[in-house]
Amino acid sequence: MAKENVRYFEDVELGEELGPLVKVPTTEAVRQFCSVWDPEVGASRFTDEATARKEGLPHALLPGIMNMSYLITLLTTWAPAGQVRKLDTVFRQPVPHNKSVRLVGIVTDKNVVDGENRVECDVSLQREDGEAMVTGKAVVILPSRESR
Amino acid sequence: MTSPQLEFNRELLGKEFPSGTFHVEKEQILAYCQAVGETSPIYTDDEAARRAGYRSLVAPPGFSNLLVRATGRPNIGLKFSATTMHASQAVESFLPIQASDTLEARTRLKDVYAKTGRTGTMVFIVWETLFTNQEGKTVAAVSSSFVHRPRHPGT
Amino acid sequence: MFIDMHCHSVASDDARATVDQYLKWVTVLRSKGYRVDGIVLTEHRQFNREADYSEISAESGVVVLRGAELDTRHGHFLVYGVNDHLTRRFDFSDVRTDPFELMREARASGAIAIPAHPGRSGIGLCEYIAQGVEFPEVKTVELLNGGSRAGENERAAELVQARGYWGTGGSDAHFVSAVGRCLTRFPDHIRTEAELVQALYRGGFQPVRLEQTAQQPVEAKESR
Repeated sequence: MAKENVRYFEDVELGEELGPLVKVPTTEAVRQFCSVWDPEVGASRFTDEATARKEGLPHALLPGIMNMSYLITLLTTWAPAGQVRKLDTVFRQPVPHNKSVRLVGIVTDKNVVDGENRVECDVSLQREDGEAMVTGKAVVILPSRESR
Repeated sequence: MTSPQLEFNRELLGKEFPSGTFHVEKEQILAYCQAVGETSPIYTDDEAARRAGYRSLVAPPGFSNLLVRATGRPNIGLKFSATTMHASQAVESFLPIQASDTLEARTRLKDVYAKTGRTGTMVFIVWETLFTNQEGKTVAAVSSSFVHRPRHPGT
Repeated sequence: MFIDMHCHSVASDDARATVDQYLKWVTVLRSKGYRVDGIVLTEHRQFNREADYSEISAESGVVVLRGAELDTRHGHFLVYGVNDHLTRRFDFSDVRTDPFELMREARASGAIAIPAHPGRSGIGLCEYIAQGVEFPEVKTVELLNGGSRAGENERAAELVQARGYWGTGGSDAHFVSAVGRCLTRFPDHIRTEAELVQALYRGGFQPVRLEQTAQQPVEAKESR
């Protein structure tokens, strides 16, 4: 990995922003995600509009864990040499297919715990108008310039 | 903070049980990365993972979430008729999960409680699953919360 | 004095921020020129009498007070000045608490209970008023809530306007970076929960957004 790509703990400041990263979760992408655990991809609230409506939902939605995976890409893009230690998310509203979502974050804390350089961020997956559909907190371990 | 007013099988609370064995396959990691646009080399390139000091391709932190989907959970017999939605989830990685690892999952019912919101009274059921690798080390923890509601929001 | 009247820490089931992190974030906001003088922790359905924030409060120069947010039969109520009488009298975890009794007992014991996010769809005070329920005890509501969806604060504002209530502001923060987004500007100096209760009964406060607390821009001074 190129050195200039590395984000070091010392360089991170509280209030630093992550993203935005924009994704368009197409129905095809959702089906592909579901196929990782179920190669058959049966009709479900995630893949099929009619099934979702029958279950009383307004539309087919992204699996919560797919939203989490998107938020993890925000973190791995921001700090390719970091390790995502924890992602804790709250699913506030169902995320629909085929509408672009914005992934954003902000650094809220940094500290050294047991020799690890921990950076905490608030992250969210937002609609285009900025309303958060998924919110979360992440802990990323970053390398230090001193231990290079 | 389990609500005293709720009716469900309380004997399940806090008791850990085995909930599945998983063999981590390289193809599955790659399919996962492709589906969500994960491009970090240690997750997508075997060689890069080895150069970075890993034995094999590393599974991204969200991968444990997929495994949790396949774990078995008992019916807790909650007396509250409603729809179910995934409310929240936390994934924590302690050690890297790598291709060809064999993981054992253990799950416990962590909490059951009620609150009120835009759709009326809701009941939350919280499960926690721990994954241990072939060396007996705990590699990841996933906590999942499901909300039972009288109706879905926005309907 | 600017106080964020509605914050949840990790003690609440759906919040992920520690009190320490909130205070650290307040210093970030202050470094950007915003003013946050205090926060009130209003954890969901509970009150921790043992929690002592005096040390970190002194260290950070941020007043940290405790309250609670209770679920009642007619929506959520923010309770300030929680005391032994209230914790004995009510099961805070009960989501069917009687709001009228709560408001009465709060007033009688030197506390105050006010409706949270009254414009919130499905659970706000406005919905119950529309159903014909009357709340003669209410004089103050949370007017500006940082967790509201589009239209919900506006609905609260109409209610406040129509009934001549006093309105507070609070971020309803569940995550670190949300703290201070909405606050209440008090004419009084408040250091304790008892002083906060008195200030709320006295009136004369306004809800504000964080941006409204910013110091006057430097240019404005120079142009004089």
